[in-house]
Amino acid sequence: MVMRLLILLVSLLLVGCGDRNWRTAETSEIMPLLDFSLIDENGQAVEAEDYQGKVTLVYFGYTYCPDVCPITLARLAGTLNRLDDDVREDIQVLFISVDPQRDTPEVVKRYTNAFGSEFIGITGELAEIDALTNRMRVTYDYEEPNQRGDYIVTHTSAVFAFDREGGAQFLIRDSHPISDAVADINRLVNDGA
Amino acid sequence: MVSHLFKTPRLLAGGMLLMLITAGHASGQDVQVSNARLSLLPGEQPGAGYFQLHNTGDETAVLVGAQSEAFEDVEIHMSSDENGMAHMHAMEQVAVEAGERFEFAPKGHHLMFIGRKQALAEGEDVEVLLQFGDEQRLPVTFEVVSPAAL
Repeated sequence: MVMRLLILLVSLLLVGCGDRNWRTAETSEIMPLLDFSLIDENGQAVEAEDYQGKVTLVYFGYTYCPDVCPITLARLAGTLNRLDDDVREDIQVLFISVDPQRDTPEVVKRYTNAFGSEFIGITGELAEIDALTNRMRVTYDYEEPNQRGDYIVTHTSAVFAFDREGGAQFLIRDSHPISDAVADINRLVNDGA
Repeated sequence: MVSHLFKTPRLLAGGMLLMLITAGHASGQDVQVSNARLSLLPGEQPGAGYFQLHNTGDETAVLVGAQSEAFEDVEIHMSSDENGMAHMHAMEQVAVEAGERFEFAPKGHHLMFIGRKQALAEGEDVEVLLQFGDEQRLPVTFEVVSPAAL
């Protein structure tokens, strides 16, 4: 009887948390389902549901960012290159601009194409972008424009991973080794977690 | 408090005198630059310059700016990550002590190349003039690379 109770307890524990032991940072408890109404790189209105069926990696940035954004996307491309072809086919990366004034669909398309076919540029109405960032509790901020009218955008630096149904799973920071990101993405694609 | 008021201008005066004394030395010529790359994507978007500075001279070398005929503007920038937020800001100058090396590297210090005047392809060279605090100019050839290559 005691043994049965123990087995039951252990199984409950395993179901409760054991299967979501990501090497990167867990987000399923703190982030809601991926949900947005934005514009894709071809100028088409898109909803988050349109991207269900594949594992989705989301990065918030802007194309006038010369250093952090391209380096992050390049690092992500390098991470995806370590995965098997059939795993990579089940992954899409959404580069969601937080600077839609400068980032038109054409601009985000050219920008994301440089990193591979998995990378999709997304832009949209500022109000819709705000709805998404508020929902996900991530922030961005515009600095004062300089004399050329250029402005710097401060933005969240992590890459967010969602399962095929748009459920938040984990986030990848620069401080996470690429091998950890590779392992977690692999697991998310293969196990469906 | 009073002694502080007296001390500060004296320190300032001392610093300025030191600057005047060292101003004649050619620190720009004692600076070596290696591995200069210009990370660029297709389109109008700004690029980022990465390189290593090695100050082989006896004086501090102060990089105060850069210019290139291929771009309207070049600025010294620094990226940083604070609490999961990516920040970037312009810097007036970067000082490299005598004998020291300083790395302009991804997600740290970089030159921001703004407003390209001509199409530039991967593998092409871009001439850049680094400007130092003592009026020295150092021409450096940057190779255009994709950020994916960094």
